[in-house]
Amino acid sequence: MSSKLRLLVRLAVIRPRFAIGYLIVITITLLAIFAPAITPYSPTEADSVSFLQPPDATHLFGTDNVGMDIFSRSIYAPRIDLTIAILGTLLSALAGGSVGAVVGFYSSGRGIRVWLSFAVMRAADVLQAFPVFVFAIALVASLGQSIQTVVLAIAFVNAPIYLRLMRSQVLSIRSMRYVEASQVNGLSDMKTIVRHIIPNAMAPVLAQLSVNVGWGILLTSALSFVGAGVRAPTPEWGSMIAMGFQNVVTGQWWPSMFPGAMLAITVFGFSLVGASIEVLADPSKRRQLLSDAREHRRRADLPVEGA
Amino acid sequence: MRILAYLAKRLIFVIPQLLGIVLVSFLLVKSIPGDPAVLMLGPTATPSAIASLRQQLGLDQPLYVQFLIYVRNLLHGDLGTSWQTTRPVLEDLLQRFPATLELVTLSLLLAIVVGVTLGVYAARKPNGWVARLADLYGLSAGALPDFWFALVLIFIFYTVLGWAPAPLGRIDMIVIPPLPVTGALTIDALLAGDLQAFWSACAHLVLPVLTLGLLNAGPILKMTQATMEKMLESDFSRFEVLCGVPQNLVVRHALRNALPSIVTIISVLYGFLIGGAVLVEIVFSWGGAGQYAVQGVLNSDIYPVLGFVLFSAIFSLIVYIAVDLIYFLLDPRISN
Repeated sequence: MSSKLRLLVRLAVIRPRFAIGYLIVITITLLAIFAPAITPYSPTEADSVSFLQPPDATHLFGTDNVGMDIFSRSIYAPRIDLTIAILGTLLSALAGGSVGAVVGFYSSGRGIRVWLSFAVMRAADVLQAFPVFVFAIALVASLGQSIQTVVLAIAFVNAPIYLRLMRSQVLSIRSMRYVEASQVNGLSDMKTIVRHIIPNAMAPVLAQLSVNVGWGILLTSALSFVGAGVRAPTPEWGSMIAMGFQNVVTGQWWPSMFPGAMLAITVFGFSLVGASIEVLADPSKRRQLLSDAREHRRRADLPVEGA
Repeated sequence: MRILAYLAKRLIFVIPQLLGIVLVSFLLVKSIPGDPAVLMLGPTATPSAIASLRQQLGLDQPLYVQFLIYVRNLLHGDLGTSWQTTRPVLEDLLQRFPATLELVTLSLLLAIVVGVTLGVYAARKPNGWVARLADLYGLSAGALPDFWFALVLIFIFYTVLGWAPAPLGRIDMIVIPPLPVTGALTIDALLAGDLQAFWSACAHLVLPVLTLGLLNAGPILKMTQATMEKMLESDFSRFEVLCGVPQNLVVRHALRNALPSIVTIISVLYGFLIGGAVLVEIVFSWGGAGQYAVQGVLNSDIYPVLGFVLFSAIFSLIVYIAVDLIYFLLDPRISN
């Protein structure tokens, strides 16, 4: 584990943008955790006298159209957004990944299980043929609008991704010798899948997780933006952007711009972290990056050619 | 002939999939709380009026009967009626879908120009500054929420600079829209020879097209870059370089061979954008099909939602089939 950590540090030095990604994710998480200590105002209390105040020393990001402090709300928002996105992503990976592992294991040969895995894949085709946003919004509407249903919607629209990812991994792993060996030794199918296949198929799933948390945040805020997700006054970036929508057109930019910028930076951070895990988990990409860096350093030491 | 056989096989697979889509969306939308009969008649309706309307709409039947009725009506081209607009959903969609299609198609063109150009330049020098810029662009474009980026553009170009028209629809309110022929305002205006309407429609298209085009160029960029890098490292490119073929020509030949994967990602993006443009439509009050569907969901108006899902699924299907036909043209190995 410590060698992995050292590798991570080295990667962060070679590609500073990975370091930036981790920095963003850690900062936002810390802000969310310590929000009550950092924020000067309550995130849901409106000061009806000072509404639509531009940013100044008392209200760092200004106030919105009912007089709530935008800075405090923007800092509190990741509590909701991150929680929803992380839970939704984990749930989708768990559900999609485990079904994908089983389906991949039984996708050749004959018998009812092969037919079942074929049926599961066609069901995934159908789910993925839906327009994502309309599907998510309809899910939330039919299950009843709440934080839990937004989590479920994120899990549901992302599950086919993990299903396919895990299935393709398992397809290549299941013909490996060690899988055969465990089967020959009388291990049941389920035990083979859980003990030997899933641990070896996890790498691309982990890279996808971080990217998906970013998407989850985008989807949560988009749902809230159209009024189908988290409702105001709960501090949430999407609903804050929606609240400031009309003000932007008339020139008061701050109610929408600050939460939107925080949202974009956060999602950016998670995609950078995802990109770094992708490199970390893929030995060939990792080797190339490290050798590129060596090459680069060697060239930097040499005098410039032709100078 | 091979093309026809292939198409026939494709279509056989498509029918159960379409049926699955209709079934899932039907069950989903049916479970949205809210009684359409109550919503249609309003809060002052008598219970007997509601009961008779429920009977008329088939709402008193069991769910599977309702589904069969819906499918039977579908086969007759009847997508149901929207209680919000009190018009047949088919008419509503035929009116709104071209608005979405016009927006999405132009955005896709912009995304292709940006993505392919940047991707090709980045692939020519994998460690150069264009490649780094392309990497950063891909990552940040995917991270920006489109509804917020649209607002940023509106603030800069409408509120501050006053260059863009107000984000209220597809054409200036004082301009008389051209007679609908295709439904795409720019084309209809040109057909009618109405330049004023044409420029007004174009001006209204600029900001939404910029939003969708710039933010969705990422996947095309990534695919172009990756495939082009592979092609430029392949034996045929190296051979050309060794023979002294000019670099531009080498790149052009490599691009020709990279086209199938680029076309694939473009087609996927096209299908995605039909539903993915919803938020931008809402921000600009575009009056497109996606906006219509979202209003349907939010107001328990189920038939517009079903109609939209069906329309976009069929659209994706047409695009994918068209792409398969393009493969036949692009890749001689398939057609032989």
